[in-house]
Amino acid sequence: MNDSALLTVDGAIATLTLNRPEQRNAMSVELLEGLHERVGELETATEVRVVVLTGAGRAFCAGMDLKQVIIDDGADWAGARLLESLARLTLRVRKLPMVVLAKVNGAAIGGGCGFSCVADVSVTHADAKLGFPEVDLGICPAVVAPWLVRKIGVGPARRVLLSGGLMSGAEAHTIGMVDHVADDRASFEALADSIAERLSKGGARALQATRGLLNDLDGSLDEGVLLRGAALSAEVLATAEAQASLRARLV
Amino acid sequence: MIRVETQGAVRVVTLDRPAKRNALTVSMLASLADAMRVDVGVRAIVLLGAGSVFCSGFDLRERVAGDDLGALREQLRRLADVVSIMRTGAVPVVVGVQGAAVAGGCALLGGCDVVVAERTAKLGYPVLRLGISPAVTAPFLRAAVGDGACRAMLMDPSLISAERAERIGLVHELVDGSEQVVTRALAIGKDLASKPGVAVASTRRWLETLATCSDATRSRAMQASLDALDDETTRRLEEQVWQR
Repeated sequence: MNDSALLTVDGAIATLTLNRPEQRNAMSVELLEGLHERVGELETATEVRVVVLTGAGRAFCAGMDLKQVIIDDGADWAGARLLESLARLTLRVRKLPMVVLAKVNGAAIGGGCGFSCVADVSVTHADAKLGFPEVDLGICPAVVAPWLVRKIGVGPARRVLLSGGLMSGAEAHTIGMVDHVADDRASFEALADSIAERLSKGGARALQATRGLLNDLDGSLDEGVLLRGAALSAEVLATAEAQASLRARLV
Repeated sequence: MIRVETQGAVRVVTLDRPAKRNALTVSMLASLADAMRVDVGVRAIVLLGAGSVFCSGFDLRERVAGDDLGALREQLRRLADVVSIMRTGAVPVVVGVQGAAVAGGCALLGGCDVVVAERTAKLGYPVLRLGISPAVTAPFLRAAVGDGACRAMLMDPSLISAERAERIGLVHELVDGSEQVVTRALAIGKDLASKPGVAVASTRRWLETLATCSDATRSRAMQASLDALDDETTRRLEEQVWQR
């Protein structure tokens, strides 16, 4: 079994943990495969009312595993596959019949930050670092852009994605990229637990009907746009400029 | 239980059932719909709640003999009617929120142009825990606050502070104390009523067109709320409301 993603279920609350703490839970092909498997289990988990997405260790998710997206002559390039896998994963998470809480326990960067935007509700702490530094690295955050647009609106998303860089959890809360913020790491766990507990109290049919309608209204189920985003992101990632920038970063 | 007064060109509509925190019954929603249909001479509507709380939502103790969820279904339909009438009418609607605007009470804000709230007020839709879907209000709420904030509010059965509500765009002005809520709401209503009527009505209709709240969308949302009502709703209402 692929243990880079863990699923635990406690009554109505399921926790899906990105489990590559030494790599700050960077999304590798294996991690994404693990997440797909665990989300597959959730699709039929009829007793679960809330799924908590979180990261093992101090980070939530550092984004794409850059080592796997550098083109190495002679080896099979994982970049395009990885991006498509992420695109399909976000859609599967959004389609789940239960409410999804992103428990952003620490750094949520690039694809990791985008993954948190797929959740219905998110919580972090004031000192966490979040954001989309893709353009700084010469790459294009096309897969996560639709999710950020739905989360904060087109105007703010334009500024965030084109400015690159990172922001604090407190700033992310101010612009609506996260919904709840704890003052510090010490009070974060209790806040996240109380939100998960509250979200788990919803009636199954009411949850599903509400989420289904919201997905319908905001175009969440548009697979085409996500796959086009994955293709665009892969195209930019394969350019000499992006590859040189990533190599320089990893040396 | 719906009081209607006229102050010059301003119609003041008050939810007047303070002992029940202005909980909305089927007949109150019907009267509210009538009150929102304007006559010649009315240039703005101000919606207020009597007492310390603007509105606590539907009166969930209202029941029809032989059909446990019949009254709730009718309340949902009539709420959607009220909000639609408010949005498609010719005159702007200002609402003053003191204390709290909960569930159906918060949904009324979806029909308003300007929302004044007491700084300490709480707002939200904590109904999923009753097995009730707030989907009916989603088209209006997302038009007001965007998809992300709409989703976070509707999927989370809790209340948000008026300050957060102002930040996301559900509330437009914060004031201190419930008296100020009334004073400011009336002042804004009077100001809006003083503007050229055709310009105001045309602008309002155009904004409604741009908000993409089509009739089809509204009926899908209504249907989602109706479809969500089931035996679990009855059981939860029994445990959490009717037996208390």
